[in-house]
Amino acid sequence: MSDDTDGPVRFMPQLIGLDYTIRTNPVAAAFGAALAEGHITGHRCPSCQRVYAPPKGYCPICCVATGADDLVEVADRGLITSWTVLTPIQYAGQKEREDYALASILLDGADGTIGQQRLTDVPLDEIRMGLRVEAVWAPPDERVGDDRGYGLGTAVSGWRPTGEPDAPPSAYQDHTL
Amino acid sequence: MRDVAIVSFATSGALPAVEDTETQMLFPVISEAIERSGIPRADIGFTCSGSADYLAGTPFAFVGNLEAVGAWPPISESHVDMDGAWALYEAWVRLQHGDVDVALAFSSGISSRSDLREVLCLQNDPYYLMPLWADHGSLAGLQARAAADAGLIPEADTTVATPPSSDGAAAVIMVAGDRAREVCERPAWIRGIEHRSDPHYLGVRDLTDVASARLAAEAAGVGDAPVEVAELSAAHPHEEVLLRRALGLGDEVEVHTGADPLMVSGLVHIGEAFRQINEHGRQRTVGHASSGACLQQNLVCVLEGDA
Amino acid sequence: MAERCAVVGIGQTHHKKVRDDVSLAGLLREAGQRALDDAELTWRDIDAVVIGTAPDSFEGVMMPELYLADALGAAGKPIMRVHTAGSVGGSTAIVATHLVQSGVRRRVLTIAFEKQSEGDTTWGLSGGRSGGVGAGGYFAPHIRAYIDRSHAPEHAGWMVAVKDRLNALKNPYAHLQVPDITLEKVRDSPMVWEPVRRLESCPASDGACALVLTDEAGGDAAPRPPAWVHGTAIRSELGQFPGRDPVNPQGGRDCAADVYAQAGITDPRRDIDVVEMYVPFSWYEPMWLENLGFAAEGDGWRLTEDGVTEMTGDLPVNCSGGVLSSNPIGASGMLRFAEAAMQVRGQAGEHQIDGATTALGHAYGGAAQFFAMWIVRSTKP
Repeated sequence: MSDDTDGPVRFMPQLIGLDYTIRTNPVAAAFGAALAEGHITGHRCPSCQRVYAPPKGYCPICCVATGADDLVEVADRGLITSWTVLTPIQYAGQKEREDYALASILLDGADGTIGQQRLTDVPLDEIRMGLRVEAVWAPPDERVGDDRGYGLGTAVSGWRPTGEPDAPPSAYQDHTL
Repeated sequence: MRDVAIVSFATSGALPAVEDTETQMLFPVISEAIERSGIPRADIGFTCSGSADYLAGTPFAFVGNLEAVGAWPPISESHVDMDGAWALYEAWVRLQHGDVDVALAFSSGISSRSDLREVLCLQNDPYYLMPLWADHGSLAGLQARAAADAGLIPEADTTVATPPSSDGAAAVIMVAGDRAREVCERPAWIRGIEHRSDPHYLGVRDLTDVASARLAAEAAGVGDAPVEVAELSAAHPHEEVLLRRALGLGDEVEVHTGADPLMVSGLVHIGEAFRQINEHGRQRTVGHASSGACLQQNLVCVLEGDA
Repeated sequence: MAERCAVVGIGQTHHKKVRDDVSLAGLLREAGQRALDDAELTWRDIDAVVIGTAPDSFEGVMMPELYLADALGAAGKPIMRVHTAGSVGGSTAIVATHLVQSGVRRRVLTIAFEKQSEGDTTWGLSGGRSGGVGAGGYFAPHIRAYIDRSHAPEHAGWMVAVKDRLNALKNPYAHLQVPDITLEKVRDSPMVWEPVRRLESCPASDGACALVLTDEAGGDAAPRPPAWVHGTAIRSELGQFPGRDPVNPQGGRDCAADVYAQAGITDPRRDIDVVEMYVPFSWYEPMWLENLGFAAEGDGWRLTEDGVTEMTGDLPVNCSGGVLSSNPIGASGMLRFAEAAMQVRGQAGEHQIDGATTALGHAYGGAAQFFAMWIVRSTKP
């Protein structure tokens, strides 16, 4: 800070900290409990039959509520529909230091993808759409679901290639996201 | 102006600390408002919502709320980071164009995730006021003091208690022209809707006069005919007194107050003013919304039933 | 439509990485004052103010219309704040336009802004959590899907990056000024979000943009030729569901069809003289050329490759330098709308397209799910 009141405008950083308590919603809590047991679950819309995993508690297309009656299990393997390699930007709270790959994965038995999933055991230049992958489960006592129900929390530490032949473009063309 | 009426209203009410996501909380409320109107979802020509990212604790929180509307196929939709009453205002403006006859306004707020005494400090001037962490309750105390000094409220009402915060959602369906009567036995016609702001700096305001509310009420025509019921976004006793004066409401006017849930309260008050006409046979009511510390920004909506 | 709407004043700030010479309010006033000066009006003449910005957490000011009311002359007046993600600058201008067209207000000042230097946008996007994907990482898969589908050569992306930066040299307000930009420089710049390279990405900027909108009488009385609004449209669609196509989104196609119909445009390639579209990553030029109906699906990159979108081409795109040269996020959409209006007013200076009479302003946001567009002309509707 300067005492010179006639000088140029000066700025000083002020870090603002706010605490939020996120209550895990019941749909995400049930999903997280199943994850801890090694199961990936979803809701099948009773109207259009689309399977959402993770479940939302409703089908946003049909505007129909979904619940325990609509519960289904999907596989812990599927295919990469899209991906990117990130060079982490160093903002406050960022823990990543090295380049890493995130992918959208279409699980067998689900109609929508799970986004921003970490890829492991694959060189970054061999990642491709259609690549078949399977979940690398964290040890049972380290599986904590996402508090907001967005993804898989820490239950799945990453996804690795299964070695199966790639899925054809028709399998991922409609699942860019 | 084109005649526009509220034909349907639904709200979750003020909920303590919901576990549901904002979208999950909104979902049944929007569906209920649409079902009550009897209008097919696909007939809604414009949708506008109100919410605040800082309550959700997530940027772009409103984006997820689209899932509660049914935004596929794509819809004509907008959002204000304001109380839902301003979303209703934007939708009312859109209905004036003539090409769209049905609009949905909704809003949601989850205050229970954070400490509003902290979060609302971020509404203050970031350079000179925010670093003081002057919370809304403390600032309301200044206004209560001014009101007491002017003899407007008893000394006992100068102790400002911070009411518990709550969560909630609300949705309103508006229809233009004769179709409002076709879908609703007793629609509430919007005869005037206006909003105004006061300066942010309390030092340049006369805190005993909520000038913005007075100007909005005059422009909306509150005083053009008797008002039976007024629904006011007042969090404290002194705010009710100041708003009554600003809106020109005499002692004969039945007033209901409350400022909860944040971001939803104003839309709920307009919805309740609709209910007074639609369900309770009143003829002329007022709904009011407020935003900011010490009633800085105010919106007034005058509703009338068919004679 | 009850009332015609005229753009009679346009102002913008000099966009920079850090505008530490002004406060947040000062930034908005700089743009607002320039727009009022252009219209030869004062703050007192304004009936209502509409502001727009991206998430509050980018600057740490909650519901900034409250704090900004004083500086924007809004005391005793109506002020609103719009927030529709990245498209917000466009949708804010549209909300302001509707206030005039509905007959509710006669003279509206609308300002969109972002002061990225007063916060940390990538932190804001991540909600403060580690491992955030950021905007570039989010859109990179959509871009790869486009390249995969269209078989576009990678130099198409480099060409957009060079074109927009060369255009920016003609725009005194543009943030990035890179006189020595070349295809090789873009090609050799680091890969940040595969397949997006550093120089194919937008900068982070501080900046604001303002418009003064009036009714027909205001347009007739304006000291300089106004731009007349011939159509406005917004569309929103769900961000993620099975079968959604984020590369060529239905919402963008519907929005374009709506605004073209309002303006009587049947062949956009022929009927529109100049386009300002929201291109934060170079590949969005060919993608939006297809989405907006200027090229058949899969052929957008050919227009870029053939030079059609250069200032000397028959469909100049982003003569201002676009989002690739200046990105005050909340203002970026309004800048597109403003630059479109400047072209039909003949006020675009060095980056003016001679004889432009019809222009499209375009913005998008969210997961390529929010769209805002307007068509402006030099003549009345």
